[in-house]
Amino acid sequence: MDGAVPGDAAWRGSGTAGYTPRPVLTNDTPTANTSIDPMLPLRAKAGDRQAFAQMVDLLYPRSLRFALHMVGNREDAEEAVQDTFVRVYHNLSRFRDDARFEPWLFRILANRCRSLMEKRRRHAAVVQYGDVPERGNAPSETAERDWTEEIYRILATLPAEQREAFLLRHVEDMAYEDIAAVTGVGLSALRMRVKRACDVLRARLSEVMQNDR
Amino acid sequence: MTDERDELIARVRETLRAAPAATPDPRAVAQVLHAVWESPAPSLWQRLVEGWRATAVTPARATAFAGAALLIGFVARGAMAPADEAAPVMAASGTTQEFPVQTVANTAPADGMVLTQFIFEGKARSVSLVGDFNEWKGGESPLTQLEGGLWTTSIALTPGRHVYAFLVDDTLVVADPRAPKAGDSDYGQEGSVVMVFAR
Repeated sequence: MDGAVPGDAAWRGSGTAGYTPRPVLTNDTPTANTSIDPMLPLRAKAGDRQAFAQMVDLLYPRSLRFALHMVGNREDAEEAVQDTFVRVYHNLSRFRDDARFEPWLFRILANRCRSLMEKRRRHAAVVQYGDVPERGNAPSETAERDWTEEIYRILATLPAEQREAFLLRHVEDMAYEDIAAVTGVGLSALRMRVKRACDVLRARLSEVMQNDR
Repeated sequence: MTDERDELIARVRETLRAAPAATPDPRAVAQVLHAVWESPAPSLWQRLVEGWRATAVTPARATAFAGAALLIGFVARGAMAPADEAAPVMAASGTTQEFPVQTVANTAPADGMVLTQFIFEGKARSVSLVGDFNEWKGGESPLTQLEGGLWTTSIALTPGRHVYAFLVDDTLVVADPRAPKAGDSDYGQEGSVVMVFAR
């Protein structure tokens, strides 16, 4: 299910719309792999809209990046992320107080990405990042850009479950235990998926480097 | 060599982490928040369907769930529609002990702007608010001194994400220590973020 959450408690609707527009103290600026203050989800769950807004602000970049690498185009990625946060908001009451928020969020996000990929399978083979940063025309910059595009291409050819496991492990820096919570897959199978993804990336990129010489 | 220490994989990792989405986009965040606040709460029926999808399917469960779902759907559909979401609580200033410097939205002007109160605590001769809403011009939004070293001002802001800071004594730019830091302060110095919600 798209909005499936582990450890569900009884649903009590979204009547916790109370808004306490109070900035929430966090230690980190919204960098790529920022972890959120563990109090934020609890405050959001208690109805603190500012806390929820702060979580979105902090986790949007990571979420969009993951979705972008999963679905391969920005429009679908943004849709997946937005839908995920809507679902998260309406399911906060089911979030266990002792659970970690990021795996919960990424589980819902990964499900949304899978659903979108299934729905738009005809686009799956087309890499549509479309916004690889322009870096000028100097040879080294062009080579860097080619390298980036090559990685995107290879990533897009990986089976979705391998791509998902690789991104969560190597880009999002998740522990295998957390990835297991996200994907519902056992640890040994996850390690195998990551290994296979690495093997393919390594082999294909080595080929590219050989050809460039 | 393990994958974790593989240089090639490390390069892949760095490349993917630097994807365009890695930087915050205030407009996108505001759009997501708008969608969240505007989204209707799932109906009981939707909740039941989702619960069904999450549950391992057995013939007994299928029969029981279908019966329950039909009963609820036909008998109680109208009665169990989600209640209107409670109107947002307009917060007054919170406990200054917990958040001596805080940002409080308290009224909703008719033109869609939201009157937002900013409070600064500290010794100063003058304090003014600078941010993306006044092009970071000092003196545009001076704070008024209250008792106990508190300074305050209220200004109307458009809903969305704003970056701001306090200009102390016309020289020192101070980010709000109790607010989230902005990674994209257009003033070139540390700023803080406030989310303003439409009413």
